[in-house]
Amino acid sequence: MTAQMLSLSLTVNGLEHVLNVESRRTLAEVLREDLQLTGTHLGCEHGVCGACTVIIDGAAARSCLVLGAQCDGSHVETVESLAADGELHPIQRAMIDHHGFQCAFCSPGFLMSIKALADDDPDMSKEQIREELSGNLCRCTGYASILAGAEAAFDVISKRNKLNSIEETKNA
Amino acid sequence: MREAIVGKLVGNSVKRTEDPRLLTGTGRFVDDVTVPNMAHAAFLRSPMPHAEITRIDTTAAKRSPGVIAIFTGAEIAEFTNPFVGLMPLPGMYDPTFYSLATDRVRHVGDPVALVIAESRRAAEDGAELVEVNYRELEPISTIGQALDSTRAPIWPKAKSNVMVSMNQPSGPAVGPIFADADRTFTQRFVQHRQSNQPMETRGIVVEIRSEGPAIVHAATQSSHALKWALAMMSGRLTVPGSIKEMFKHRDRPKLFVNGAKSLMAAKPEMKGAGKPMMPTMMKQMASDPKRALDLQRSMVALLAKGQDSRPEVVAQDIGGAFGAKGTVGREDVAVYAAAVHLQRSIKWIEDRNENLMVGGHARDENVELSMACDHDGTIRGMHVRLDMNIGAYPAFPFGGGMFSQIIRVMMPGPYRLPALQFDTRIVASNKGTYVAYRGPWAVETWVRERMLDIMARNLGISRADIRRRNMITAAELPTKMITGPALDVRMSAAVTFEKAMEVAEFDLWAARQAEARTNGKIVGMGFATFIEAAPGPPGFFDQVMPGAGSMAASEPAHVVLESDGTVSVYIQQMPHGQSHETTFAQVAADELGVPMEQIRVRYGDTRVTPFSLFGTGGSRAGAMTGGVVTFGSRELRGRILDIAADLLEASRDDLVVTNGNVHVAGTPARSVDFAAVAAQAKRSPQPAGAVAPKTSEAIRIQSEYDGGEGGWAQSTHVCWVEIDLETGVVKITRYVVAEDCGELINPAVVEGQVRGGVAQGIGAVLYEKITYNESGQFQTGTFMDYLIPTTMEIPEIEIHHIETPSTIEANYRGVGEGGMIAAPAALTNAIEDALAHLGVIITEQHLPPSRILELAGVITP
Amino acid sequence: MKMRAFEYHRPETLAEALAVLAEFGGDAKVIAGGQSLVPMMAMRLSTPDHLVDISRISGLDEIKLADGRLTIGAMVRHAAAFSNDLVATTAPLVHAALPHIGHRAIRNRGTVCGSLAHADPAAELPAVARALDAEFVVANAHGIRLIPAHEFFLGYLTADVGDGEMVTEVRFPIAAANAVVSVQEVSRRHGDFALAGCVAQLSIAPNGTIETAALALFGVDATPYRSAAAEAELVGNMSTSEVFANAATKMTADLNPAADNHGSTAYRRHLAGVLVRRALADAASKFSLTIGALA
Repeated sequence: MTAQMLSLSLTVNGLEHVLNVESRRTLAEVLREDLQLTGTHLGCEHGVCGACTVIIDGAAARSCLVLGAQCDGSHVETVESLAADGELHPIQRAMIDHHGFQCAFCSPGFLMSIKALADDDPDMSKEQIREELSGNLCRCTGYASILAGAEAAFDVISKRNKLNSIEETKNA
Repeated sequence: MREAIVGKLVGNSVKRTEDPRLLTGTGRFVDDVTVPNMAHAAFLRSPMPHAEITRIDTTAAKRSPGVIAIFTGAEIAEFTNPFVGLMPLPGMYDPTFYSLATDRVRHVGDPVALVIAESRRAAEDGAELVEVNYRELEPISTIGQALDSTRAPIWPKAKSNVMVSMNQPSGPAVGPIFADADRTFTQRFVQHRQSNQPMETRGIVVEIRSEGPAIVHAATQSSHALKWALAMMSGRLTVPGSIKEMFKHRDRPKLFVNGAKSLMAAKPEMKGAGKPMMPTMMKQMASDPKRALDLQRSMVALLAKGQDSRPEVVAQDIGGAFGAKGTVGREDVAVYAAAVHLQRSIKWIEDRNENLMVGGHARDENVELSMACDHDGTIRGMHVRLDMNIGAYPAFPFGGGMFSQIIRVMMPGPYRLPALQFDTRIVASNKGTYVAYRGPWAVETWVRERMLDIMARNLGISRADIRRRNMITAAELPTKMITGPALDVRMSAAVTFEKAMEVAEFDLWAARQAEARTNGKIVGMGFATFIEAAPGPPGFFDQVMPGAGSMAASEPAHVVLESDGTVSVYIQQMPHGQSHETTFAQVAADELGVPMEQIRVRYGDTRVTPFSLFGTGGSRAGAMTGGVVTFGSRELRGRILDIAADLLEASRDDLVVTNGNVHVAGTPARSVDFAAVAAQAKRSPQPAGAVAPKTSEAIRIQSEYDGGEGGWAQSTHVCWVEIDLETGVVKITRYVVAEDCGELINPAVVEGQVRGGVAQGIGAVLYEKITYNESGQFQTGTFMDYLIPTTMEIPEIEIHHIETPSTIEANYRGVGEGGMIAAPAALTNAIEDALAHLGVIITEQHLPPSRILELAGVITP
Repeated sequence: MKMRAFEYHRPETLAEALAVLAEFGGDAKVIAGGQSLVPMMAMRLSTPDHLVDISRISGLDEIKLADGRLTIGAMVRHAAAFSNDLVATTAPLVHAALPHIGHRAIRNRGTVCGSLAHADPAAELPAVARALDAEFVVANAHGIRLIPAHEFFLGYLTADVGDGEMVTEVRFPIAAANAVVSVQEVSRRHGDFALAGCVAQLSIAPNGTIETAALALFGVDATPYRSAAAEAELVGNMSTSEVFANAATKMTADLNPAADNHGSTAYRRHLAGVLVRRALADAASKFSLTIGALA
């Protein structure tokens, strides 16, 4: 079987790309090789470590377990999208404050998993956060600092959302 | 963040300089490196544990789309030199071997061919089409099989699979001590094989440039060691070429000496220091003349050619290593040699399956431990019989041989031990390479702390009392371990022990456990105390292996005032998660009186970093790099003050530096900043004896530091478990660490290191095991087989810091390895405590649920 | 770890998909969520020449009640099934099993039918399907076959889906209003495949008599394991721990699970018994809770 090339349209971090890629490329490979978005890391390539986690159409997914072809027409968010206009995302800030990571190879997956969770339910309990993050492996930290950072980030996001909704009510 | 910090940066959990880069996806790990015209590599690996290669045919594979070239072992041997171990143990058979298997494969995953293609995908397609015929040989999997003299050696030139057998006494003979002892205990312990498993696998990008040496982008713990190893092993000349070269260079001996001189000039203290190893090396060569030839050809490769034949190594962000990336990989050599041979840049990124098979295994040992003691538990002697399974190919440059000797030296731990007999057998087997893994000698702590519990129960004394009775206290310091190393007054294991017992309320434990049992709960508490050479007292490595100290003698740093007034600190340490960019900037900033932001810590690039073959390892960074950065920065500060005194027309003694400005004390308005000092330095002549700065630099300080008194890190860990005797599931309900690693540079960094180490120790006991079956087949090739613990398996870990007061400057000690050293002991001790009423004695370290139920008698094995 | 090349097909209709499958037969594989297939392809353990992506076929992502059954289409992802009220109310055992599958990122992509067709004996959903007597709709270019769960799982990673065929939906019977369920499993780590597990659904009369019982074990045999004798032991008896223990004994009497690095035969057999008891007790405790709530 020779390589099959496919045309693929993909919106990544708000930018639309039309790419010609080999059908067997995973989304992770498309991001890293075709779009040079090397912030997404490949730790195991068989769906266990979670380092390659990105957000596809609003839901966290392992980009090593998804073919680029399957994402034709999708919106993908990667770690590169978190900081906007030089302003760090609250999750990034919280991780810096809590010394969340050491080597940080796993961090893109954790950050995007946390982003997806916080988008979904910023009032998640500590225990839920711990359980939800069990799909991301870290070999350096023993997790305490990552969980501390995640909890702090949820806190900030939850408060920000509440303030926003108060603002919206006021404006309405 | 810094506004909150008044005065010293050292001692504060300063936020990491690394983080803004790493957390925005703009770090640069080796797989992120792309260079022009880059090809990709994949290895065809042996599916057999042990076999002769009878035929390789690459014809079809070479026709596979995108394949550029394929190298078999025989082909790569034409233009590379074999690995020749340089750290010999006396009497050890140390095989030489090529980067690819040439005639025989010796473990599952042994690289058989290297495929270079336009993409990794195409390279793997090509590898699938390489035809290899094997003739199976009897595999050696277990230590028992390796010791079986009826089985053929996997290295035909070795007499057996026992690579070395040594009997080393320390202190008086143990025979009479055991004969006269009140009580003796003997227990055989099994330490299973594990793997480092950093989240980033190994990898290398060899960048071939039109001019100048190749640049090797690598995930390595030691860029200089990798550079010189690649230079040594890649430059093999063809046989006719060799003869021509010999003829042309009849003065080769002189060339060799000149080359050696240039190496020594880079590292003066190496001269002579390695001498104790020479007789061993000579003996090795006498018994194996080919080894002498290979070594000589390696040296010629290293030295005969110009500088451009040696690569420059650039290591940037490293995704963890835990010891594994200190080993020069056979793949590194093969890929580098292929790139040079083809004059084409090549990337090789190990995949997880490869990393599990061949990326480094650790700790595969059987230990029979005998103790002689008084009725009250006072230890009189110890006899250790260590059998270590180092796999097929010894790690380069540091392998099992050296680690067996650290185990020996560390065997007494923090306890009084009048006599030690240490017998070692290192065996070869058809398994992956045994490498350093966080506390490579940790088995000494595990078996000793396990044994103390077993002894206490048998003697009817408490587990705390047996330790108190034997542990060296402050009043006895300084003293020496029976194995040689000095214990200075900061050796505070006993202090950490008492702190841990207090926090744990050990005295109340028996009653609490009894109460829990009446409620049907199976609970246990265990603890363990250890000391760790971090970096150890002066001469520590020579006590491990005579001559080894030459590699470990000192730690270099360059502290540079740049023309723009910023300061660069160049270190040979290769951080891979340890936050060196932050911690050494804290140290330098405090010494210089400048904000953190004015300091840039640089590492990993052999073109600019100071030379050392050690890299990151041995818990040396805290004490030795912390020290050399302190003293180098101080020297720079002196030079800055000299110049500022001229500029300010003030006395040097009246000057202070605050926030990067030099001024007379009390009159901050009259000041000069470092940029002004730099400008003045560039205008002025260099002081006599000063190192000349480079063009962009104003003042360059090049320092070395031998670590001074060096010293120890120590801690006591306490672990509580609850065991479900229906399912065998062990839950860790609490975990406490009381530790002393001297002054903390950055407490958050220290705590991260401790917790990370504990997590790996917990993983080792409950989840992680590298498995081969009896016939040598590898069974843990995915993350579904080799189980890294998740957030749900690692408990919260409480840390209590202790700092023994000292007047020693730069009183920092390493702390990265200790968590992993003590955790398996504390956890297995807790499990035994929980199951003690069932008569359970834990003598193996890996305890998955099924094993727990077998031990508890719930199911039959 | 890169997959072998293949030709990717993305049909827009079921007929088109079945035509492609018919054309390439055993050389083609269906990809829905891909969460089991892609890792196997990455390791080159699965090397299809043709991959048929069914994600764009309209209608396959539907969850609906039809003919008194809950129908889950081939493109319904685990996460969608879990958050679906119809699933929670009419198939509580399916709802209870879903969070045990891998981790959230896996459940966001993986599909219910994909897990079932993959037929991993250590997975939860095949055991649920077996316990509940689910029915599979397997289609090919010529028509459909309806396959009951007890005939669907043929062996380790093997379901009765032939070359040229695909599962289009699975149908679960609607649970009785008083049904109580439990999913119990022990895995090495959180989120791993189970060393052994048990799914149970009981309906219990107000007086405590067990009216119906359906349970299946996973991780202990090549296919999900069900025992008529164990269920007979339960039905008509009071829900007591003695009855549960008897059922567990019956359920594990003939078990001979394969050993692997994570657990021995003896361990898995023992664990299965423990989990049967725990699943029954847990389910029954929910019945008591219901009664408590009513009272």
